[in-house]
Amino acid sequence: MLDLSSFNYLQLDAIKEVGNIGTGNAATALSQLLSCMIDMDVPKADLVSIYSIADYYGDPDTPVAAVFVRSLGEFGCSLIFIQNEEDANLMVDLLLKQQFGGYMPEDLPQEMIDSAIAEVGNIILSSFLNAINLLIGTRHQITPPGVAHDMLASIMDVVVAIFGQMGDMAVLVNTELRVGGPGKSEQDISGNIVMLPDPDALELLLRKLQVL
Amino acid sequence: MENAYHVGMADLVVVSAPAKLITLGLGSCIGLVIFDSVAKIAGMAHIMLPDSHGSKGGEKVGKFADTAVPAVVDEMIKKGASKTRMKAKIAGGAQMFALPGTPTDFLAVGSRNIKETTAILAKLGIPLVSSDTGGNKGRTVEFSTTTWMLAIKTLGKKEMSEI
Repeated sequence: MLDLSSFNYLQLDAIKEVGNIGTGNAATALSQLLSCMIDMDVPKADLVSIYSIADYYGDPDTPVAAVFVRSLGEFGCSLIFIQNEEDANLMVDLLLKQQFGGYMPEDLPQEMIDSAIAEVGNIILSSFLNAINLLIGTRHQITPPGVAHDMLASIMDVVVAIFGQMGDMAVLVNTELRVGGPGKSEQDISGNIVMLPDPDALELLLRKLQVL
Repeated sequence: MENAYHVGMADLVVVSAPAKLITLGLGSCIGLVIFDSVAKIAGMAHIMLPDSHGSKGGEKVGKFADTAVPAVVDEMIKKGASKTRMKAKIAGGAQMFALPGTPTDFLAVGSRNIKETTAILAKLGIPLVSSDTGGNKGRTVEFSTTTWMLAIKTLGKKEMSEI
């Protein structure tokens, strides 16, 4: 089993590059879906203590909306698209307004909002994964998305389930997407993609990238 | 005035009354409280996983149910609590995500946490007097050594519930 405490910069850099390729593809897909400009940060690959994983993103009790998918196959990986509840609502408005031709119905049922959140997350996360699998030449299958609205810390407990048993560090790739192009504006909507490769998939990834 | 103590992930804190023990945003994790209302001592642990077997060792004792429960008990006895008077309350162990039509064993860590914590309390002979576990919502919990009640807050609900 890979020992995360002996990770080096070259390996983290290689993983970051993978995140970069995934994010580029995800941003393109989101831009097509919403027909607007998407700005992205350079992704970060980090070793994070599982005891403070929520603090990495903000206050533990911040209300967030999150979409979760798993990639099954050779490269097993979990992905989360996480947004502040307000940003998620703005994103839903933006998407649905287009679908309804500029008209925004009032009192949308929660199922419809969740379905829109799931769809946006699904498109972002699947394009992210497609790019990675193309790069390393693996085949994969993606689970349907799961949606949750909850406190940041509760959502990030998923990371514990993946990395907790093997130690106290987690490897994650983190990147931010912003709708509306560069610079802050009124309608700035942002969201984070979190990629959590399974511990054995991490080994495969590093080997394919020839840094192990 | 009650001092408030925040119990972080895998931490355990034992206090003498009056005090408040708080842990934020329990998802699949368990907030365990053990108290002795006569000696006025209470302990809280933020348990992350059920079982320390197969871990590399040398980690925080509060991380796993099988190490956290005995550690809280020992720490309380050191402060003067009596094991025969101890009672326990637990909250947490939710499953945050469900993926339709896919086996998600690792997402069900919450229910394994509940099972293991309950089993170890039973083994140590500590009665579990109340619990609020499972479901799919995260919980913030706050234990008061004045009332010996565990207040539970979930998102979207204005009212706190008390167990």
